Amino acid sequence: MDLPGPIHDFLLVFLGSVLILGGIGVVLFTNPIYSAFSLGLVLVCISLFYILLNSYFVAAAQLLIYVGAINVLIIFAVMFMNGSEYYKDFNLWTVGDGVTLLVCTSILVLLMSTITDTSWYGIIWTTRSNQIIEQDLISNSQQIGIHLSTDFFLPFEFISIILLAALIGAIAVARQ
Amino acid sequence: MMLEHVLVLSAYLFSIGIYGLITSRNMVRALMCLELILNAVNINFVTFSDFFDSRQLKGNIFSIFVIAIAAAEAAIGPAIVSSIYRNRKSTRINQSNLLNK
Repeated sequence: MDLPGPIHDFLLVFLGSVLILGGIGVVLFTNPIYSAFSLGLVLVCISLFYILLNSYFVAAAQLLIYVGAINVLIIFAVMFMNGSEYYKDFNLWTVGDGVTLLVCTSILVLLMSTITDTSWYGIIWTTRSNQIIEQDLISNSQQIGIHLSTDFFLPFEFISIILLAALIGAIAVARQ
Repeated sequence: MMLEHVLVLSAYLFSIGIYGLITSRNMVRALMCLELILNAVNINFVTFSDFFDSRQLKGNIFSIFVIAIAAAEAAIGPAIVSSIYRNRKSTRINQSNLLNK
């Protein structure tokens, strides 16, 4: 989105800090209903991130499917279970948690060092030079629709079959 | 530059999702952390599609496919969890021994 520089940077920093705190909250809240709502906050912030990245269709799909369907389903699943057993072991810090924290921190540090070492400017310049020729005037959503009906037609149909099979399977499993 | 910041953020979401997926004892919370991992993948797809492929936008297509798969997973996961809960009266991961006997 074409915002002026300070507003863009402020939105980026704000959404990033909300994502960091919400991601910690999903894992560390002892009550699962709080972590479910924290997950909803994280998903809304990711949708706003997509708007900042000029991907409006994916932002709308994220807001509709993730926040409107998946998060509501997860909250429903949390409320369906009995809540009394969640508070039994809330400060149980075992050795496995420490080892996992170490492994995940090392994964994060490795990824960050790889990201900062890669020279993204060279890749951007080599790809931008190829794209100057095809300057057309159709919007992003039209481009996505054209791709879905030509190049990615077969995966699109397979996705519909997978969704149908998954919903039938979910109803068959959850039914008494 | 914005690209590296977004990539670092997505790496952070991925690692904290892995951490929660391994250490959580509640199945529903494990599903939530799985959604975090899928969202990190989606952020990477959309970012690279915006910065490197802003004419073709094929990364957006892949992120839509990932969202659809996540919807299927979020339909199946709570169904299995509720079935286990109905049989065992518990949703703790470290106590599920349904294959026993």
